[in-house]
Amino acid sequence: MVVDGFFITGAIVCLLAALICIVAAVIRQPPNDITILSVAAVELFLLVYGIAAIVRQAGGESVAGEVWEFWGYWITALLVPVAALWWSILERTRWSNLILGAVGLTIFVMLVRMEQIWDGALAV
Amino acid sequence: MKAENSMTSPQETPAEPVETGSRSSGPGRLIVAVYGVFAISATARASYQIATKFTEAPVAYLLSAFAAVVYILATVALAKKGLRWYWISVAAISVELLGVVAVGLLSLLDPALLPEDTVWSGFGQGYGYIPLVLPLLGLWWLWRHRPGQERMR
Repeated sequence: MVVDGFFITGAIVCLLAALICIVAAVIRQPPNDITILSVAAVELFLLVYGIAAIVRQAGGESVAGEVWEFWGYWITALLVPVAALWWSILERTRWSNLILGAVGLTIFVMLVRMEQIWDGALAV
Repeated sequence: MKAENSMTSPQETPAEPVETGSRSSGPGRLIVAVYGVFAISATARASYQIATKFTEAPVAYLLSAFAAVVYILATVALAKKGLRWYWISVAAISVELLGVVAVGLLSLLDPALLPEDTVWSGFGQGYGYIPLVLPLLGLWWLWRHRPGQERMR
C-alpha cells in the first residue's frame, strides 16, 4: 500500500471524526451538530474518493487488485455513515455518539483495504 | 440540521437507557451497531471467498459463511424486542463464542485444517480480537437485561 494524499486525507478525516464523537460520548453529549457534521465529513470524503477513483481509472490508472472488490468496498463504505446516523438519531443518548465514533474507525479500516486493493497489498 | 442540539445546549442528556429494560437501548445500541458491522463484513468476505475461490479451502469458506449467518442473526435478535428474540440472541451469541474459541484453538493446534483465514481464526486476531471480546460483552449485556430483571425495573 502506498501512502498517498487520498490515504492521508481520509485517515485524518476518519480518525478526527472518531475522536470528536468519542469525546462527545465521554462528556455525555447526545449526537449534536458537531458530531453529525464530522460523520457527514467522512461521507463527503468517501464521495470525493469515489469520484477521484472513477477519474483515475478513466485516465488509465490500473487497480492492482480486483476492480469490483474495490467498488464493493466503496459502496458498502458509503452506506455505513448513513446507517449509523439513522440508528443513532433514533435514540439521542451519549451512546449514540459512540455509534457515530465507530463510523470513523470502520471507514478507516475499509479505506486501508481499498488502498491495499488499489496499490496491491504486498507493495507496502 | 437541528440547530437546537449544539454542544452547549443545556438540554439534559438522558443519563442512562431511556426505555427501561430495553436491550437495544443505550449501550445496547452500540452493541447492535458493532454486530451490524461484523454481519456486513463477514457476509461480504464469505461471499467473496465462496464466489472466487471456493475449491481452494471449502471448509474454511463454509465456516466463514456460517459465521456470517450467526452475526446476522445476532444483530437482528439483539435489535428486536420480546422474549423469543432474547433467547435467539443468547443462542446466537453463545454459538459465536463457541465458534471463535473452537476455531481459535483449531487454528493453533491444526493449522492445516483451516489454511485460509476466517473471521474467527486465531481468536479473531485479524479483526483486532473483537470477535472474541464481542460475544463476552454481548452475553454480559444480555445477562444484565435478562427477562426477570426487566420486570423488576
